[in-house]
Amino acid sequence: MICAGIDAGSRAVKAVLLDSRSLATLGSSVLDQGVHQDRTAFAAIEQLLAPRGLSRRDVGWIVATGYARNIVEFADTTITEITCHACGVRHQMPSARTVIEIGGQDSKLLRLADDGRVRDFAMNDRCAAGTGRFLEMVAGKLEVPLGRLGELAARAANPAAISSMCVVFAETEIIGLLAGGACPEDIIAGVLGAIASRVAAMVGRHLEEPVAFTGGVAMVPGMDSALAGVLGRPVTVVNYPQMTGALGAAILAARSCGQPLV
Amino acid sequence: MEKPAKITLEQWDARYAHLRAGGLVGPFYGGPLGRHLADGDRRLSKLRYDNSPAALRLWNFLLTEDDRLFAARQAGRKIVGVMKDLGTTAVMAMSLPDVTAFYPDGAWWIPCVMEHGSCVLEVADSMGLDESFCPVRAMLGAFANGEHFPRPDLLVCSAGAVCDDFSAVAQLVEHLGNPILWWEMPTRRHPAADEPAVRLPTGFLAPASQVAIVRGELGRVREALEELAGRELDDATLAAGIARANHARGVLDELRRLAYSAEPCPIPALEMLIAEMLIIHYCSDRDEAPAVLEELLAEARRRALAHVGPLPAGAARIFWVNPVADLRVMNLLEDCGGRLCGTELLFCHSLEAIPADCPPMEALARAALADPMVGPAQDRAERICADIGRFGAEAVVISRIPGASHCALEGGLIGGIIGKRLGLPVLEIEVPPLSDSMMPTLRTRLEAIVEVVKERRR
Repeated sequence: MICAGIDAGSRAVKAVLLDSRSLATLGSSVLDQGVHQDRTAFAAIEQLLAPRGLSRRDVGWIVATGYARNIVEFADTTITEITCHACGVRHQMPSARTVIEIGGQDSKLLRLADDGRVRDFAMNDRCAAGTGRFLEMVAGKLEVPLGRLGELAARAANPAAISSMCVVFAETEIIGLLAGGACPEDIIAGVLGAIASRVAAMVGRHLEEPVAFTGGVAMVPGMDSALAGVLGRPVTVVNYPQMTGALGAAILAARSCGQPLV
Repeated sequence: MEKPAKITLEQWDARYAHLRAGGLVGPFYGGPLGRHLADGDRRLSKLRYDNSPAALRLWNFLLTEDDRLFAARQAGRKIVGVMKDLGTTAVMAMSLPDVTAFYPDGAWWIPCVMEHGSCVLEVADSMGLDESFCPVRAMLGAFANGEHFPRPDLLVCSAGAVCDDFSAVAQLVEHLGNPILWWEMPTRRHPAADEPAVRLPTGFLAPASQVAIVRGELGRVREALEELAGRELDDATLAAGIARANHARGVLDELRRLAYSAEPCPIPALEMLIAEMLIIHYCSDRDEAPAVLEELLAEARRRALAHVGPLPAGAARIFWVNPVADLRVMNLLEDCGGRLCGTELLFCHSLEAIPADCPPMEALARAALADPMVGPAQDRAERICADIGRFGAEAVVISRIPGASHCALEGGLIGGIIGKRLGLPVLEIEVPPLSDSMMPTLRTRLEAIVEVVKERRR
């Protein structure tokens, strides 16, 4: 049977199609989130089904996750991104005991038990501080592609001190730093370090290794090393980190196939 | 028995008409809940209520408190505002026959219930208390606009080891021309090995010398009350007042035991929150409050016996720490698949019986010093751990009050102790007076903690 997971996030909708027996990934898609979130989610799954001559009826079970999960009306059930990311990481990196996920509009810390269950979690979502949206703003302001942030940060000689983590105020601060002669490389390094510090504050004093890093921001080169530097521990970016939530949702769909999972 | 359910305000009004037609005789403050909406309590339209007549009575009792206070003023009764100590001075004041006590701190719910329609927070803003302070700053706005309660004849307020934010707000209330009788609460400490100690009602141990200090401070409150009432507040009168308080506390204790342990849950979280708050000051009517609680307890008993309730069986059993500024979040917990199984809303000392085996002022001092806020966070965490065991909770939600410095300081400590001692998942959230914009993220967190609980059951 085929199952699917949809992660309807704030910046992108991700979908994963899975063989429910082998748990082999049959395909995945990513679309920018739009105004009509349900339609975008449907388009994401259609991208996977149509080329295979399949339709919604051929999918045994669909789990939706992400902040817009409740808008995905064609899903069979919804499960939070906390549980889905834990499941996705467990599948890819069974040894992980801590998961750091930084998405478009929030960041999360999950502590996992030996069997992969979530023991505890914390979220930062009061504002865009330490999220993908924050990095997008910085990249836009400095006229640098997101994918080059890490490369540029590595060239920094004197990373700038970024005191404000509010997107609006940080923008003002960056303008001030540029006006003061700071180079983009130093500003970017300062921003990555500030985001990492924010996440480290959420981690607290008890960090269990290995640490897995997921979410769209994990794709930004240099973010993992910034995190590792602040945490003082190695941080492993899982494969296709942007897809981890959707993958976890698909695995939970496969496990469930109509049975209540939780 | 009507099938227990949670219903909307609109549904309640229809149900009220049906109940009235069927012969329901409500109390003097009764009536359809919808009428409070017309008074500006706009949040009510977004809440879901228990459908029992007992719950209707509870809500009507709560929402008519301002009417009672203004009527008391008209009737010439002395009105005392009892601030911050959350339960002790109210017992003293209400021991006097012609005195009505109320709890100005309760104004912190006005911005929620009226959805900012009262502008009390804006008034507080204009007086220098912005959103970096606890929502209890609404009390300052309420004193300034005089619309929510009459000007008290006497204001008493504990200070010292109690909440600093509150003390700051209360000082500004005093500057508005409301003289306050301040009484000092020492920081409760653990007694030294060779120091005479007293066991407090919450189980905490305190040095006898600290109890004596509080007794002396409450003695000043007693004198002020006597002067106000023009009569002596003797030990016999106080003992009778304590006995009445203990009766109400006993009813609430049994209600909590049932509501937090019966399966399925017999009384929803929102009604339990209101019921617990009632015990602080009886909603300004010490005779009616126990009757309201007794009716709710009778309903809980009926439902527990019949194994029915407004929530599905199997809900995740959540222990809740700190009161929420937005009532809607208690509904949300249940929408997400959880149920209340125990609370520590910063006034667990008011849920305990006041000692009856010692002189009344000594008993009141012990009760006041048992306040969870005036001692180490470790004590509070120990108490929470004990209650979690009592009610069988499976996870803990620590609800921070934005701007309340004690929450920021205590939350992590308490969560850490619970996690270490009991191995339970702990979730910290922050709930502002109107959390509408945060509902999606609050929902995600609460749904996630429910998922974690249910996964642990497997």
